Amino acid sequence: MPPDHDLDDYVDPYDPGQRRAPDGGPGALRVGIGGPVGSGKTALVAALCRTLGEELDLVVVTNDIYTTEDADFLRRNAVLPDDRIEAVQTGCCPHTAIRDDITANLDAVELLEARHPGVQLVLVESGGDNLTASFSYGLVDVQVFVVDVAGGDKVPRKGGPGVTSADLLVVNKTDLAPFVGADLDVMRRDSDAVRGEKPTLLISLREDPAATDVAAWVRAQVRSRALQSA
Amino acid sequence: MSLTALLALADSRLPAGGHAHSGGVEQAISAGLVTDPVSLAGFLRRRVGTAGSVAAGLAAAACAVVGRAVGGGAVAAGAAVPPSVAAALADLDAEADARTPSPAQRAASRQQGRGLLRVGRRAWPHPAWDALPTQPHHAVALGVAAAAAGARPADAAAAAAYLSMSGPATAAQRLLALDPITVAAVTARLSPLVDEVAGAAARAAAGPFGGLDLLPASADPLLDLLAELHVSRKDRFFAS
Amino acid sequence: MVARAGPGGRTVLPVVRASGQLAVRRTGPVTVHLVATAFGPLGGDDAEVRLVVEPGAVLRVRSVAAAVVLPARGDSPPSAQRVLADVDGDLDLQLEPTVVAARAHHVATVTVRLGAGGELTLSEQVLLGRTGEQPGRWTGTTRVLRDGRPLLHTTLDLGPGAPTWAPPMAPRAYASTTRVRPGPGVGTATGVDAVRLPLPGGWVSTAWGDALDRVARADADLHPGSRPAAQPVLAGVPS
Ligand SMILES: Nc1nc2c(ncn2[C@@H]2O[C@H](COP(=O)(O)OP(=O)(O)OP(=O)(O)O)[C@@H](O)[C@H]2O)c(=O)[nH]1
Ligand SMILES: [Mg+2]
Repeated sequence: MPPDHDLDDYVDPYDPGQRRAPDGGPGALRVGIGGPVGSGKTALVAALCRTLGEELDLVVVTNDIYTTEDADFLRRNAVLPDDRIEAVQTGCCPHTAIRDDITANLDAVELLEARHPGVQLVLVESGGDNLTASFSYGLVDVQVFVVDVAGGDKVPRKGGPGVTSADLLVVNKTDLAPFVGADLDVMRRDSDAVRGEKPTLLISLREDPAATDVAAWVRAQVRSRALQSA
Repeated sequence: MSLTALLALADSRLPAGGHAHSGGVEQAISAGLVTDPVSLAGFLRRRVGTAGSVAAGLAAAACAVVGRAVGGGAVAAGAAVPPSVAAALADLDAEADARTPSPAQRAASRQQGRGLLRVGRRAWPHPAWDALPTQPHHAVALGVAAAAAGARPADAAAAAAYLSMSGPATAAQRLLALDPITVAAVTARLSPLVDEVAGAAARAAAGPFGGLDLLPASADPLLDLLAELHVSRKDRFFAS
Repeated sequence: MVARAGPGGRTVLPVVRASGQLAVRRTGPVTVHLVATAFGPLGGDDAEVRLVVEPGAVLRVRSVAAAVVLPARGDSPPSAQRVLADVDGDLDLQLEPTVVAARAHHVATVTVRLGAGGELTLSEQVLLGRTGEQPGRWTGTTRVLRDGRPLLHTTLDLGPGAPTWAPPMAPRAYASTTRVRPGPGVGTATGVDAVRLPLPGGWVSTAWGDALDRVARADADLHPGSRPAAQPVLAGVPS
């Protein structure tokens, strides 16, 4: 076979880890925020926008299933100016859009990056899905999986790629634990058991609308991307 | 010529963004025009005969432009295409615009063209990718992809015609929860039509005069209307 | 036919040649009427209209009556009508409706090549079948270029035998208007079984249905500035 299509010396020049912004710098950190329906993904995105919006140049992509509800929420609550939010349609299949065919999301990310040169952080919220949902690393650099305690303390035990392999697991709505009889210690233990070294944060966005711990983690990721590719 | 290349181009698993486009069927369902396998077959027939035919002609012509200039398939690293290729592809892109007066359909086509450009460039490296505009019409990008992958103009036409059917068929299957086996049977029965449309389009693209005005231009005002109604909605699953 | 700008806003026609089934009558300062000299067109007929509108000239082309396309005896071949116009002035081409009788197939092609300052108004109305008769078939192509670049190229195939003439859109009547002229851009508008789409420097509107008068009105309703104002896109889903 002629040289270009040969597999032996195939080097993918587009390896996301090697991605560069047009200015030659490392470009923005792309963070996926996934998790089941209603676990608090949009609430977390809004919190991160509020907490990090002052210090970081950031934009958001939402993947609503049928409406532009999430994008509208972020706009309505004036968390971000309109031109920093893009909503993509997912063709009845939110999962496909973040994992199997990430085209529409890449388009949205690239559009936002082109519109805001120098952007440092891109948050991609997936449509609410199930425990098997996960982002392709062609789309994001790191991913956060958000579950809530209202689904019961069994969720971390049940596992699934989101819970076991996300770079950060967020167990949200700890304020509801007493009402649903969820044992936070069990959730913590089960999470650690399946996740090894990877971090898990138990939070309540109701009690801490700034999402302080998650914001700190994201901040560290942004810094490490900047350092690693400097 | 590479048969595998053709199969890859027509495969809905090729991550080029097609899964988020319904080719008008989402709006046709909302309007009550598509409700069951029979009305779906009617819709697909229209689509293959109009949008599919137009796309097939353009894809075949684009593939031929690249093939004539540099030869298809893998080319030596560092090979360049003459500027005439970019000009010819731009002409085809303008012909696609003229055949797609609906802004919603234009946008959908360019969105999918850009997606195909992204994956095609990496899957089948070829200097012709650089001769395309950044957001080419899907059919024009498909022609370049076919050439880069080592397929012929007739294959490009076949892939274009097939995709004009398979995309909306899958979308309808999801939206109406149709029996997927029934949908497979419907599309199987339409395959002679797809072959015929693709064949006619490829012949037009290869015509002795090669005039761009001879490429198929079949229009469907109903699809235009549906596309414009669809794009103005906020509540929708599909981008088009 | 060549139209040239004359004194006092009049259009002079230095070249008018007609033969076969068409004659040309001058009916106004900038207006000519095409007059059919025989019944038809008939299956197998082939008519060609060549128009040149020079810079500054205005040419309005009309016809005196609907053209009724009739089939030839036996296995009727299609009839053809080709209009080719080179326009650096202003061409307004609006002929009376074409009625395609049962068994007839009419192939109509309009190609307009606009120069930098050229303007165009083109309208077409088609009815498939006379009253109480099966529809005939009409295949119409419109190709409009500006400085050699295509602005619009569409072929509509209507009537029995046309692959896409099937429910939910198998109309007997069809009307369309294309306008290219400098001015503010217009967006998309929709009606019930009618849609208007923007073109670079113009727009094209299309309507379809069962009765030609209603379809023609639906088309006209979508023209910018018409009353009732063209509905915004969200007006509703087609019936
Ligand atoms: N009690 C409580 N409610 C919360 C908390 N975080 C979010 N919520 C509420 O949970 C509901 C769902 O939150 P969203 O942020 O919309 O969840 P989501 O994951 O984006 O939902 P989808 O996008 O629909 O999948 C909202 O009513 C939030 O106000 C929390 O910490 N405690
Ligand atoms: Mg949400």
